[in-house]
Amino acid sequence: MSVKTRRAAAAAFAFSFILTDAPPALAHGFGPTYDIPIPLWLYLYGAAAAVVLAFVPLALFSRKERDAPYRYPRFDLFRVRLLRTLLTSRPLTGGLRLLSVMLFFVVVIAGLVGLQSGFNIAPTFVWVTWWVGLSFFTAFVGNLWPLVNPWKVLFDWAEGLVRRLGYRDGLELDEPYPKALGLWPAVGLYLVFVWTENVFSGSYVPRNIALFALAYTLITLYGMAFFGRETWLRRGEAFSVFFGLLGRFAPTEVGVKDPDVCHDCDGCDDDAVGRCVNCYECFARAAPEERELNLRPPAVGLGLPEKVPPGGAAFVIVVLAGVTFDGLLQTPLWLEIVRLTPVTQTLGVMLLPLLFFCIYLGFVELSRILGGGEGGFRRFAAAYAFSLVPIAIAYQMAHYYTYLLIQGQMIISLVSDPLGWGWNLFGTAAFEPRYGIVGAGFVWYSQVALIVAGHVIAVYLAHSISLRLLRDPVRAFRSQLPMLVLMVLYTITSLWILAQPIVK
Amino acid sequence: MIVLILGGLFFLLRPDTPAGAPRDRTFDVSVEGGEMRPPEISVEEGDRVTLRVSSDKPIEFHMHGYDVEREVEPGQAAELHFEADLTGRFEIEDHESEKELGVLQVRPR
Repeated sequence: MSVKTRRAAAAAFAFSFILTDAPPALAHGFGPTYDIPIPLWLYLYGAAAAVVLAFVPLALFSRKERDAPYRYPRFDLFRVRLLRTLLTSRPLTGGLRLLSVMLFFVVVIAGLVGLQSGFNIAPTFVWVTWWVGLSFFTAFVGNLWPLVNPWKVLFDWAEGLVRRLGYRDGLELDEPYPKALGLWPAVGLYLVFVWTENVFSGSYVPRNIALFALAYTLITLYGMAFFGRETWLRRGEAFSVFFGLLGRFAPTEVGVKDPDVCHDCDGCDDDAVGRCVNCYECFARAAPEERELNLRPPAVGLGLPEKVPPGGAAFVIVVLAGVTFDGLLQTPLWLEIVRLTPVTQTLGVMLLPLLFFCIYLGFVELSRILGGGEGGFRRFAAAYAFSLVPIAIAYQMAHYYTYLLIQGQMIISLVSDPLGWGWNLFGTAAFEPRYGIVGAGFVWYSQVALIVAGHVIAVYLAHSISLRLLRDPVRAFRSQLPMLVLMVLYTITSLWILAQPIVK
Repeated sequence: MIVLILGGLFFLLRPDTPAGAPRDRTFDVSVEGGEMRPPEISVEEGDRVTLRVSSDKPIEFHMHGYDVEREVEPGQAAELHFEADLTGRFEIEDHESEKELGVLQVRPR
């Protein structure tokens, strides 16, 4: 295929949005699906495995000490001299921040002035490289977002400039943030994002991406200036909250050795041994010799004794419902629902999290009653929410990894011609994506394995959370039965979606 | 124990490998008003596939993944041959209008 026809192919999705009046019933808001539905027997097998394996964590826990504090092995990477020098070097960290801001501007400029109906870096970079790629990186390597968040970097630069100009107070007004507001601004913004991704028919049009990015920039910079940078990043910046959540699953964590540094910070997790982890604000504030970057077993960060602000559980549910909605949109069932009931796509984006939330709260209440009925309902609802994160990550991975592998290759040619103006900056503009990287058989098995693995980790986490809340193995065991049913239900739903024929 | 149960279940549920060797498959495909009939072509891995494509308008029949492309004129059916060695779901589009026509689905053996 010539460069020209290949470019035309790249344009196909974007073009169909512009030309057709009716919103196209595309798979997800952007790009094609490469996977074929899993066969019925594999679906049944996955469901059976989910039920059988759900009892493994129960068996493991029945032998555990009741009051053991939450501990897990860690290894401080900064103890290795070479790694310490490399990872803390200014050229690396400063370079990443600069690169991130440059990419942000490239996306905005490409969106505004680049070719709209074809070769343009904005859609692929935002939806594939950043949204799918960075979320996988965060969950499986570590959370880089607090370092490279372009809005945070821009704010820091603006603040530095203002201070140099002689305004001592800087940009932050530090208005008191209403405590009851909690994470709700992030929940709302994330919901808008999920709508843009799955429902908005122009989500692949470069100009829309640029306009959305600019609008979000205004909201974020204003939020940081009004309430203070860290407060807004922790409470209102949807992507900081989202990547923070995934980062808890990651096999790495930042930490501070001296607990005094974290004394008055409400963003830290106290790991009950006196050190504080997972807080980038304290990490940045601590003296270099107090900092640590630990390797840890995956997912243990989700079981830490956390302080969940209001809206914390809702955010997790919205993330979970968001990834499910993405898959549900492609099923014949959803098509029928939209055809026969007044439910529209937009209504669906709002109703599904609500439905999930009600089901979740119902099962939490059941679990609380079976566990002896002590302790506040709110405390339970907040505490169990993190145990659902592995399920969301596993489903996101199963749903998107072929997409990242195949569609993600487009970025190689796009970096050479970001605006679609026929450039060839790095000599890669003619690169063609390779399709046969993974066979459909492998995709089937890996999807089912991922979903079942996420399910087992979730059951394990829920059980360890219940032990902490109830402090009694027998009651914890009983309280876990409804949670088991909830997780098995959700896992079977995920597998069912993967087994559905894809409708157009 | 768990491994035993899961292993047993796997062999119990897994169907016998789909019948026999790769086959020769022929499909008559017509494109009318920008839509392909049948909208989905489903084959098994390794099949030798022949598509006889007819269209009511001049189109550039293009299959993603396999990168097979053929110009089709109205009233003049075109024949495409390929071996289904890549598994997965691939879009078929008209390169002329950039519209998606249908889907090729290749199931693994």
